Amino acid sequence: MSGFQYGVSLYSYTDDIGTVMGLDEALEHVADTGATGIEILSESHIPAYPEPPAAWIDHWFARIERLGLVPTNMACWVDTNITQTHNRTEEEGAAQLAQDLRLAHRLGFRYIRPKFGVIDEELTPHPIWRGAVERVLDLADELNITIIPEIHAPTPIRHPVTEAYVDFIQKTGTRNFGLLIDTGIFQDRPLPYWPGETPEIRKAALSFLDGIKVPVEHLAEVIEYVPFIQAKFHHIDDHLHDHNIPWETIVPMLKKLNYTGYLSSEYEGPRDPWVAIEQVRRQHCLIRKLERDMEASHA
Amino acid sequence: MPERSIIQSSGFANTGERDRRSGFTLRLRQPNYRGLCLSLVEGIDICVDGETYPAEGNFIMLRGKSFTHADMANATQIRWAMGECVEVIVPKAAGLKIGVHEVGCIMRLRHPYFPPQFQPAFVRESRHITIIQP
Repeated sequence: MSGFQYGVSLYSYTDDIGTVMGLDEALEHVADTGATGIEILSESHIPAYPEPPAAWIDHWFARIERLGLVPTNMACWVDTNITQTHNRTEEEGAAQLAQDLRLAHRLGFRYIRPKFGVIDEELTPHPIWRGAVERVLDLADELNITIIPEIHAPTPIRHPVTEAYVDFIQKTGTRNFGLLIDTGIFQDRPLPYWPGETPEIRKAALSFLDGIKVPVEHLAEVIEYVPFIQAKFHHIDDHLHDHNIPWETIVPMLKKLNYTGYLSSEYEGPRDPWVAIEQVRRQHCLIRKLERDMEASHA
Repeated sequence: MPERSIIQSSGFANTGERDRRSGFTLRLRQPNYRGLCLSLVEGIDICVDGETYPAEGNFIMLRGKSFTHADMANATQIRWAMGECVEVIVPKAAGLKIGVHEVGCIMRLRHPYFPPQFQPAFVRESRHITIIQP
């Protein structure tokens, strides 16, 4: 049985990178988990984005080679309402995607995750997404990169947003577009209130933070279009108990569906210095243990 | 590396000649998890000891270049990188007195991938920091 591939998104170390650690230290922490996949955020971790200095690119490759890391996904953005009076056109959206595809290719990435501007609270992407993506499919194919918008709470799997992406794949027949599943959609217990959040605010506008509880069985309906998973989580305690994400049901389902892609850790919890380093390690310990248990029970 | 807080202690100073202060400058760390075009920064209000200095009257100094509030609205190609600091230049006759001040900032950041009702998003912080030179 082939296993999962393990990775870490540098998003996990938000606020630590740039205040208590640099990019190099972050990569060291990733490698020390035993992960092989490195996921970055274009506008966060690439100096002078979108045109990093050549010396930095050399350093990037030297560093990941030494640490045994492989670039996985480069998260990027298509900011539709780029000014208060102008929404980006399909052509402008395509130009942004083309720029990020080329940059991702230069840095060795296989996926990009564009985050399009949205038009409603269900995170329906701005309608330019389709025309913008269509215009860069040939380029993505040439560069061997798959474009993977994320399915992220509050958007579940059974939803017009997901269906529109699947429809796009089916109609174009492209192999360069897929779905990134963020495991936050399976969250089944509430998150603590964020700083400044009140019960009233949670109820009125942020009820999805209580968990949208997508049944893991729904993964079966889209798994053929899912090449990459962001393993979102918020808190894992000293007993390796995740307080919000039901790994004990997610892992068996992914094994049953023969998922062999990356699980790329995305810690999103309290941003006290250095907390993320330990939290990511706990998640890797927890998921690897569940995977081993599954494999042992099927041996 | 900058301090963890958005409002930085270093960089807080009066501007202009010593006996003819024209205002003060405050250093802020970009608080978001990604870099932002300046056009996505809808404004930065500064508050000192209860007095507010609205974004429209302040200047933002980024990598040695000064932007008015109106300049920023159309600066779609100028990026304020994650963790990078700007200096907010606030005009104020005679500047601020020496000593510890309660300093706050309110940033209005537009995240296109947020639902419309959360655009802009507000980032607020307040802390006590010190002016050394009169």
